[in-house]
Amino acid sequence: MTVGSDDLHVLLGGYLLGGLSDADHRAFTEHLRGCSACQAELGQVSGLPRLLDLAGPAGGPHLSPDAEAAEAVAVDAPDGVDDARVARLLSAVAQKRRTRRRWLAAVAAAAATVLFGAGLWLGPRLTAPPDLPTTHVVASPAPGSSVRVDVALVTRGWGTQLDLDCEDMPTAGQLTLYVIDRQGASTAAASWLGTPTGYSRLTGATALRPDEIRRLEIRDGAGQVLASATT
Amino acid sequence: MSLDDEAVAAIYREHGPMLRRVVWRATSDANRVEDIVQEVILRVWRQAPETDNLRAYLITTARHLIVDQHRAATRRPQQTALVDLPVDDADLDRALDQVLVEEALGRLQPDHRDVVRCLYYERLSIAETSKRVGAPEGTVKSRAYYAVRNLRAILDEMGVTR
Ligand SMILES: [Zn+2]
Repeated sequence: MTVGSDDLHVLLGGYLLGGLSDADHRAFTEHLRGCSACQAELGQVSGLPRLLDLAGPAGGPHLSPDAEAAEAVAVDAPDGVDDARVARLLSAVAQKRRTRRRWLAAVAAAAATVLFGAGLWLGPRLTAPPDLPTTHVVASPAPGSSVRVDVALVTRGWGTQLDLDCEDMPTAGQLTLYVIDRQGASTAAASWLGTPTGYSRLTGATALRPDEIRRLEIRDGAGQVLASATT
Repeated sequence: MSLDDEAVAAIYREHGPMLRRVVWRATSDANRVEDIVQEVILRVWRQAPETDNLRAYLITTARHLIVDQHRAATRRPQQTALVDLPVDDADLDRALDQVLVEEALGRLQPDHRDVVRCLYYERLSIAETSKRVGAPEGTVKSRAYYAVRNLRAILDEMGVTR
Protein backbone atom coordinates (compact mmCIF):
# COMPACT_ATOMS: atom_id res chain seq x y z
CA MET A 1 0.00 0.00 0.00
CA THR A 2 1.68 3.18 -1.10
CA VAL A 3 0.46 6.73 -0.93
CA GLY A 4 2.11 9.63 -2.74
CA SER A 5 3.73 12.11 -0.36
CA ASP A 6 1.30 14.83 -1.50
CA ASP A 7 -1.60 12.66 -0.34
CA LEU A 8 -0.09 11.74 3.02
CA HIS A 9 -1.89 14.51 4.89
CA VAL A 10 -5.29 12.80 4.45
CA LEU A 11 -3.99 10.03 6.71
CA LEU A 12 -4.41 12.47 9.59
CA GLY A 13 -8.06 11.38 9.81
CA GLY A 14 -7.23 7.70 10.27
CA TYR A 15 -4.29 8.61 12.50
CA LEU A 16 -6.64 10.40 14.88
CA LEU A 17 -9.64 8.04 14.68
CA GLY A 18 -7.61 4.83 14.48
CA GLY A 19 -7.60 2.04 11.90
CA LEU A 20 -4.47 2.86 9.87
CA SER A 21 -2.39 -0.11 8.70
CA ASP A 22 1.10 -0.35 10.22
CA ALA A 23 2.62 0.86 6.96
CA ASP A 24 0.32 3.89 6.75
CA HIS A 25 0.83 4.66 10.41
CA ARG A 26 4.61 4.65 9.93
CA ALA A 27 4.35 6.74 6.76
CA PHE A 28 2.18 9.36 8.43
CA THR A 29 4.29 9.53 11.58
CA GLU A 30 7.33 10.20 9.40
CA HIS A 31 5.45 12.76 7.32
CA LEU A 32 4.24 14.50 10.45
CA ARG A 33 7.78 15.11 11.67
CA GLY A 34 8.53 17.30 8.67
CA CYS A 35 5.11 18.80 7.84
CA SER A 36 4.19 21.90 9.85
CA ALA A 37 0.74 22.08 8.22
CA CYS A 38 -0.19 18.62 9.52
CA GLN A 39 1.33 19.41 12.91
CA ALA A 40 -0.84 22.51 13.19
CA GLU A 41 -3.94 20.67 12.03
CA LEU A 42 -3.35 17.82 14.44
CA GLY A 43 -3.02 20.38 17.23
CA GLN A 44 -6.47 21.73 16.39
CA VAL A 45 -8.22 18.36 16.39
CA SER A 46 -6.27 16.55 19.09
CA GLY A 47 -9.04 17.20 21.63
CA LEU A 48 -11.59 15.26 19.57
CA PRO A 49 -11.01 11.73 20.94
CA ARG A 50 -11.70 12.93 24.48
CA LEU A 51 -14.89 14.61 23.27
CA LEU A 52 -15.92 11.54 21.28
CA ASP A 53 -15.50 9.45 24.42
CA LEU A 54 -18.10 11.62 26.16
CA ALA A 55 -20.70 10.19 23.80
CA GLY A 56 -20.21 6.75 25.33
CA PRO A 57 -18.92 3.51 23.79
CA ALA A 58 -21.41 3.60 20.91
CA GLY A 59 -21.27 7.31 20.11
CA GLY A 60 -24.77 8.22 21.28
CA PRO A 61 -28.20 8.21 19.69
CA HIS A 62 -27.25 9.52 16.26
CA LEU A 63 -24.96 6.57 15.68
CA SER A 64 -27.64 4.02 16.54
CA PRO A 65 -30.61 4.31 14.17
CA ASP A 66 -33.28 2.93 16.56
CA ALA A 67 -32.58 5.38 19.36
CA GLU A 68 -32.42 8.23 16.89
CA ALA A 69 -35.88 7.47 15.53
CA ALA A 70 -37.30 7.25 19.06
CA GLU A 71 -35.77 10.57 20.00
CA ALA A 72 -37.05 12.24 16.86
CA VAL A 73 -40.58 11.25 17.84
CA ALA A 74 -40.14 12.57 21.35
CA VAL A 75 -38.56 15.91 20.52
CA ASP A 76 -39.23 16.95 16.94
CA ALA A 77 -42.70 18.18 16.28
CA PRO A 78 -44.48 18.00 12.94
CA ASP A 79 -44.71 21.26 10.99
CA GLY A 80 -48.21 22.23 12.13
CA VAL A 81 -47.33 21.98 15.79
CA ASP A 82 -44.16 23.89 15.07
CA ASP A 83 -46.18 26.79 13.64
CA ALA A 84 -48.26 26.88 16.82
CA ARG A 85 -45.06 27.03 18.83
CA VAL A 86 -43.73 29.88 16.71
CA ALA A 87 -47.02 31.73 17.21
CA ARG A 88 -46.75 31.27 20.98
CA LEU A 89 -43.18 32.50 20.93
CA LEU A 90 -44.12 35.54 18.86
CA SER A 91 -46.93 36.47 21.23
CA ALA A 92 -44.37 36.35 24.04
CA VAL A 93 -42.18 38.65 21.96
CA ALA A 94 -45.09 41.05 21.48
CA GLN A 95 -45.82 40.99 25.21
CA LYS A 96 -42.22 41.78 26.08
CA ARG A 97 -42.18 44.52 23.47
CA ARG A 98 -45.22 46.17 25.03
CA THR A 99 -43.57 45.96 28.43
CA ARG A 100 -40.43 47.54 27.00
CA ARG A 101 -42.43 50.31 25.37
CA ARG A 102 -44.27 51.04 28.63
CA TRP A 103 -40.91 51.18 30.32
CA LEU A 104 -39.59 53.58 27.68
CA ALA A 105 -42.69 55.74 28.01
CA ALA A 106 -42.28 55.83 31.80
CA VAL A 107 -38.63 56.81 31.45
CA ALA A 108 -39.60 59.53 28.96
CA ALA A 109 -42.35 60.83 31.25
CA ALA A 110 -39.98 60.90 34.21
CA ALA A 111 -37.41 62.78 32.10
CA ALA A 112 -40.05 65.30 31.00
CA THR A 113 -41.11 65.92 34.62
CA VAL A 114 -37.55 66.51 35.71
CA LEU A 115 -36.99 68.76 32.74
CA PHE A 116 -40.10 70.77 33.43
CA GLY A 117 -39.21 71.17 37.10
CA ALA A 118 -35.66 72.21 36.31
CA GLY A 119 -36.88 74.66 33.70
CA LEU A 120 -39.06 76.42 36.24
CA TRP A 121 -36.16 76.92 38.55
CA LEU A 122 -33.19 77.39 36.30
CA GLY A 123 -34.59 78.97 33.20
CA PRO A 124 -34.62 77.63 29.66
CA ARG A 125 -30.91 78.02 28.91
CA LEU A 126 -29.91 75.09 31.06
CA THR A 127 -32.44 72.84 29.39
CA ALA A 128 -31.11 73.49 25.87
CA PRO A 129 -30.47 70.42 23.64
CA PRO A 130 -26.87 69.72 24.77
CA ASP A 131 -28.27 68.81 28.21
CA LEU A 132 -30.90 66.52 26.75
CA PRO A 133 -29.58 64.47 23.84
CA THR A 134 -32.75 62.33 23.52
CA THR A 135 -36.36 63.52 23.39
CA HIS A 136 -39.40 61.26 23.10
CA VAL A 137 -42.55 62.35 21.36
CA VAL A 138 -45.75 60.45 20.66
CA ALA A 139 -47.26 61.32 17.29
CA SER A 140 -51.02 61.79 17.46
CA PRO A 141 -53.09 60.02 14.84
CA ALA A 142 -54.79 62.10 12.15
CA PRO A 143 -58.62 61.99 12.14
CA GLY A 144 -59.77 58.60 10.88
CA SER A 145 -56.42 57.00 11.59
CA SER A 146 -55.54 54.79 14.56
CA VAL A 147 -51.80 54.50 14.17
CA ARG A 148 -49.52 54.79 17.16
CA VAL A 149 -46.03 56.14 16.65
CA ASP A 150 -43.43 56.79 19.33
CA VAL A 151 -40.45 58.80 18.16
CA ALA A 152 -37.15 59.22 19.96
CA LEU A 153 -35.10 62.15 18.69
CA VAL A 154 -31.46 61.46 19.41
CA THR A 155 -28.97 64.30 19.02
CA ARG A 156 -26.01 63.33 16.87
CA GLY A 157 -22.98 65.24 15.65
CA TRP A 158 -24.40 65.06 12.12
CA GLY A 159 -27.99 66.02 12.99
CA THR A 160 -30.81 63.98 14.52
CA GLN A 161 -31.43 60.27 14.61
CA LEU A 162 -35.13 59.38 14.63
CA ASP A 163 -36.02 56.04 16.24
CA LEU A 164 -39.59 55.08 15.39
CA ASP A 165 -41.78 52.53 17.11
CA CYS A 166 -44.95 52.17 15.00
CA GLU A 167 -48.06 50.22 15.87
CA ASP A 168 -51.41 49.63 14.17
CA MET A 169 -50.00 50.90 10.89
CA PRO A 170 -51.36 50.14 7.40
CA THR A 171 -50.31 46.58 6.59
CA ALA A 172 -49.18 47.37 3.05
CA GLY A 173 -47.95 50.21 0.92
CA GLN A 174 -45.16 52.71 1.37
CA LEU A 175 -44.91 54.89 4.47
CA THR A 176 -42.72 57.94 4.79
CA LEU A 177 -41.51 60.02 7.71
CA TYR A 178 -41.16 63.75 6.99
CA VAL A 179 -39.39 66.32 9.13
CA ILE A 180 -40.60 69.91 8.83
CA ASP A 181 -38.22 72.71 9.83
CA ARG A 182 -38.96 76.13 11.36
CA GLN A 183 -39.38 77.62 7.89
CA GLY A 184 -41.98 75.01 6.98
CA ALA A 185 -39.81 73.09 4.51
CA SER A 186 -40.38 69.34 4.67
CA THR A 187 -37.85 66.60 3.92
CA ALA A 188 -38.25 62.82 3.92
CA ALA A 189 -36.18 61.25 6.71
CA ALA A 190 -37.21 57.60 6.29
CA SER A 191 -39.43 55.43 4.12
CA TRP A 192 -40.53 51.83 4.60
CA LEU A 193 -43.22 49.32 3.65
CA GLY A 194 -46.20 48.34 5.78
CA THR A 195 -45.88 44.92 7.45
CA PRO A 196 -48.65 42.30 7.94
CA THR A 197 -48.56 42.77 11.72
CA GLY A 198 -48.85 46.55 11.38
CA TYR A 199 -45.85 46.82 13.65
CA SER A 200 -42.42 48.15 12.72
CA ARG A 201 -39.40 49.60 14.38
CA LEU A 202 -36.97 51.63 12.32
CA THR A 203 -34.50 54.47 12.35
CA GLY A 204 -34.44 57.58 10.17
CA ALA A 205 -32.01 60.47 9.96
CA THR A 206 -32.03 64.18 9.23
CA ALA A 207 -29.33 66.85 9.07
CA LEU A 208 -31.56 69.14 11.19
CA ARG A 209 -30.79 69.47 14.89
CA PRO A 210 -33.68 68.59 17.25
CA ASP A 211 -34.36 72.27 18.00
CA GLU A 212 -34.62 72.99 14.27
CA ILE A 213 -37.39 70.39 13.81
CA ARG A 214 -40.86 71.85 14.18
CA ARG A 215 -43.03 68.92 13.16
CA LEU A 216 -42.84 65.25 12.27
CA GLU A 217 -45.35 63.65 9.91
CA ILE A 218 -45.92 60.06 8.87
CA ARG A 219 -47.66 59.85 5.51
CA ASP A 220 -48.95 56.97 3.43
CA GLY A 221 -48.18 56.31 -0.25
CA ALA A 222 -50.89 58.75 -1.36
CA GLY A 223 -49.37 61.55 0.72
CA GLN A 224 -52.14 61.36 3.32
CA VAL A 225 -50.92 62.28 6.82
CA LEU A 226 -51.46 59.33 9.22
CA ALA A 227 -49.92 60.85 12.32
CA SER A 228 -48.03 63.95 13.29
CA ALA A 229 -46.14 65.38 16.23
CA THR A 230 -45.10 68.89 17.09
CA THR A 231 -41.81 68.97 18.92
CA MET B 1 -44.14 40.43 10.19
CA SER B 2 -41.88 43.00 11.78
CA LEU B 3 -38.14 42.52 11.69
CA ASP B 4 -38.23 41.30 15.28
CA ASP B 5 -40.88 38.70 14.55
CA GLU B 6 -39.05 37.53 11.49
CA ALA B 7 -35.78 37.27 13.37
CA VAL B 8 -37.34 35.33 16.25
CA ALA B 9 -39.24 32.98 13.94
CA ALA B 10 -36.10 32.41 11.87
CA ILE B 11 -33.99 31.65 14.95
CA TYR B 12 -36.68 29.30 16.21
CA ARG B 13 -37.00 27.44 12.93
CA GLU B 14 -33.29 27.17 12.33
CA HIS B 15 -32.03 26.45 15.82
CA GLY B 16 -35.17 25.29 17.67
CA PRO B 17 -34.87 21.57 16.88
CA MET B 18 -31.22 21.50 17.94
CA LEU B 19 -31.98 23.42 21.14
CA ARG B 20 -34.91 21.14 21.95
CA ARG B 21 -32.73 18.07 21.63
CA VAL B 22 -29.95 19.59 23.71
CA VAL B 23 -32.29 20.82 26.45
CA TRP B 24 -34.28 17.61 26.45
CA ARG B 25 -31.19 15.45 26.81
CA ALA B 26 -29.67 17.73 29.43
CA THR B 27 -32.74 18.07 31.62
CA SER B 28 -34.66 14.84 30.99
CA ASP B 29 -37.83 16.78 31.55
CA ALA B 30 -39.97 16.73 28.44
CA ASN B 31 -42.55 19.07 29.95
CA ARG B 32 -40.15 21.93 30.38
CA VAL B 33 -38.15 21.62 27.15
CA GLU B 34 -40.30 23.95 25.11
CA ASP B 35 -40.41 26.58 27.88
CA ILE B 36 -36.65 26.57 28.25
CA VAL B 37 -36.05 26.71 24.50
CA GLN B 38 -38.42 29.64 24.08
CA GLU B 39 -36.90 31.43 27.05
CA VAL B 40 -33.43 30.96 25.52
CA ILE B 41 -34.57 32.48 22.21
CA LEU B 42 -36.37 35.35 23.95
CA ARG B 43 -33.29 36.13 26.03
CA VAL B 44 -31.04 36.15 22.99
CA TRP B 45 -33.54 38.29 21.08
CA ARG B 46 -33.64 40.80 23.93
CA GLN B 47 -29.87 40.88 24.24
CA ALA B 48 -29.50 41.22 20.45
CA PRO B 49 -25.85 40.17 20.70
CA GLU B 50 -23.40 41.18 18.03
CA THR B 51 -22.07 37.74 17.26
CA ASP B 52 -21.16 35.86 14.13
CA ASN B 53 -21.78 32.60 15.94
CA LEU B 54 -25.42 32.65 16.98
CA ARG B 55 -25.54 28.90 17.56
CA ALA B 56 -22.79 29.03 20.16
CA TYR B 57 -24.47 32.03 21.77
CA LEU B 58 -27.80 30.18 21.98
CA ILE B 59 -26.14 27.12 23.45
CA THR B 60 -24.24 29.18 26.01
CA THR B 61 -27.48 30.92 26.98
CA ALA B 62 -29.21 27.54 27.32
CA ARG B 63 -26.33 26.33 29.45
CA HIS B 64 -26.69 29.27 31.82
CA LEU B 65 -30.45 28.89 31.98
CA ILE B 66 -30.24 25.19 32.79
CA VAL B 67 -27.57 25.77 35.43
CA ASP B 68 -29.66 28.55 37.03
CA GLN B 69 -32.79 26.42 37.08
CA HIS B 70 -30.85 23.51 38.43
CA ARG B 71 -29.44 25.62 41.26
CA ALA B 72 -32.88 26.98 42.06
CA ALA B 73 -34.31 23.46 42.17
CA THR B 74 -31.46 22.30 44.41
CA ARG B 75 -32.22 25.10 46.87
CA ARG B 76 -35.84 23.98 46.96
CA PRO B 77 -35.60 20.19 47.05
CA GLN B 78 -39.37 19.70 47.05
CA GLN B 79 -39.46 21.24 43.56
CA THR B 80 -38.14 18.46 41.34
CA ALA B 81 -38.03 20.46 38.15
CA LEU B 82 -34.95 18.84 36.69
CA VAL B 83 -34.80 15.25 37.68
CA ASP B 84 -31.73 13.59 36.23
CA LEU B 85 -29.25 16.38 36.62
CA PRO B 86 -25.78 15.86 38.00
CA VAL B 87 -24.89 17.53 41.27
CA ASP B 88 -22.26 20.12 40.47
CA ASP B 89 -21.50 22.50 37.63
CA ALA B 90 -18.54 20.50 36.32
CA ASP B 91 -20.72 17.41 35.96
CA LEU B 92 -23.42 19.48 34.35
CA ASP B 93 -20.93 20.95 31.88
CA ARG B 94 -19.75 17.46 31.05
CA ALA B 95 -23.30 16.28 30.51
CA LEU B 96 -23.96 19.22 28.20
CA ASP B 97 -20.75 18.60 26.28
CA GLN B 98 -21.82 15.00 25.87
CA VAL B 99 -25.14 16.09 24.41
CA LEU B 100 -23.39 18.57 22.12
CA VAL B 101 -20.90 15.97 20.88
CA GLU B 102 -23.76 13.61 20.12
CA GLU B 103 -25.58 16.44 18.39
CA ALA B 104 -22.46 17.24 16.36
CA LEU B 105 -22.17 13.60 15.28
CA GLY B 106 -25.77 13.81 14.13
CA ARG B 107 -24.92 16.80 11.97
CA LEU B 108 -22.06 15.06 10.16
CA GLN B 109 -23.00 13.88 6.71
CA PRO B 110 -23.93 10.16 6.80
CA ASP B 111 -20.82 8.98 4.89
CA HIS B 112 -18.60 10.70 7.39
CA ARG B 113 -20.63 9.56 10.39
CA ASP B 114 -20.38 5.92 9.26
CA VAL B 115 -16.60 6.19 9.02
CA VAL B 116 -16.35 7.71 12.52
CA ARG B 117 -18.56 4.93 13.88
CA CYS B 118 -16.49 2.16 12.25
CA LEU B 119 -13.02 3.56 12.90
CA TYR B 120 -13.47 5.15 16.31
CA TYR B 121 -16.33 3.47 18.12
CA GLU B 122 -16.12 -0.01 16.60
CA ARG B 123 -12.32 0.04 16.33
CA LEU B 124 -12.35 -1.40 12.79
CA SER B 125 -9.34 -1.02 10.50
CA ILE B 126 -9.43 1.03 7.31
CA ALA B 127 -9.59 -2.23 5.35
CA GLU B 128 -12.54 -3.56 7.40
CA THR B 129 -14.33 -0.22 7.18
CA SER B 130 -13.82 -0.23 3.43
CA LYS B 131 -15.66 -3.58 3.20
CA ARG B 132 -18.35 -2.48 5.66
CA VAL B 133 -19.28 0.71 3.84
CA GLY B 134 -18.57 -0.62 0.34
CA ALA B 135 -16.08 2.08 -0.63
CA PRO B 136 -12.38 1.85 -1.62
CA GLU B 137 -9.78 2.25 1.14
CA GLY B 138 -8.59 5.56 -0.33
CA THR B 139 -12.15 6.89 -0.07
CA VAL B 140 -12.40 5.74 3.56
CA LYS B 141 -9.14 7.57 4.34
CA SER B 142 -10.28 10.80 2.79
CA ARG B 143 -13.72 10.52 4.47
CA ALA B 144 -11.96 10.04 7.80
CA TYR B 145 -9.92 13.16 7.11
CA TYR B 146 -12.92 15.31 6.22
CA ALA B 147 -15.03 13.81 9.02
CA VAL B 148 -12.42 14.96 11.54
CA ARG B 149 -12.21 18.44 10.05
CA ASN B 150 -15.97 18.85 9.82
CA LEU B 151 -16.57 17.54 13.31
CA ARG B 152 -14.10 20.07 14.69
CA ALA B 153 -15.80 22.86 12.73
CA ILE B 154 -19.29 21.82 13.94
CA LEU B 155 -18.12 21.68 17.56
CA ASP B 156 -16.43 25.07 17.23
CA GLU B 157 -19.68 26.45 15.87
CA MET B 158 -21.48 25.07 18.93
CA GLY B 159 -18.98 26.73 21.23
CA VAL B 160 -17.41 23.43 22.35
CA THR B 161 -13.80 24.51 22.27
CA ARG B 162 -11.90 21.98 24.31
ZN1 LIG C 1 1.16 17.20 5.92
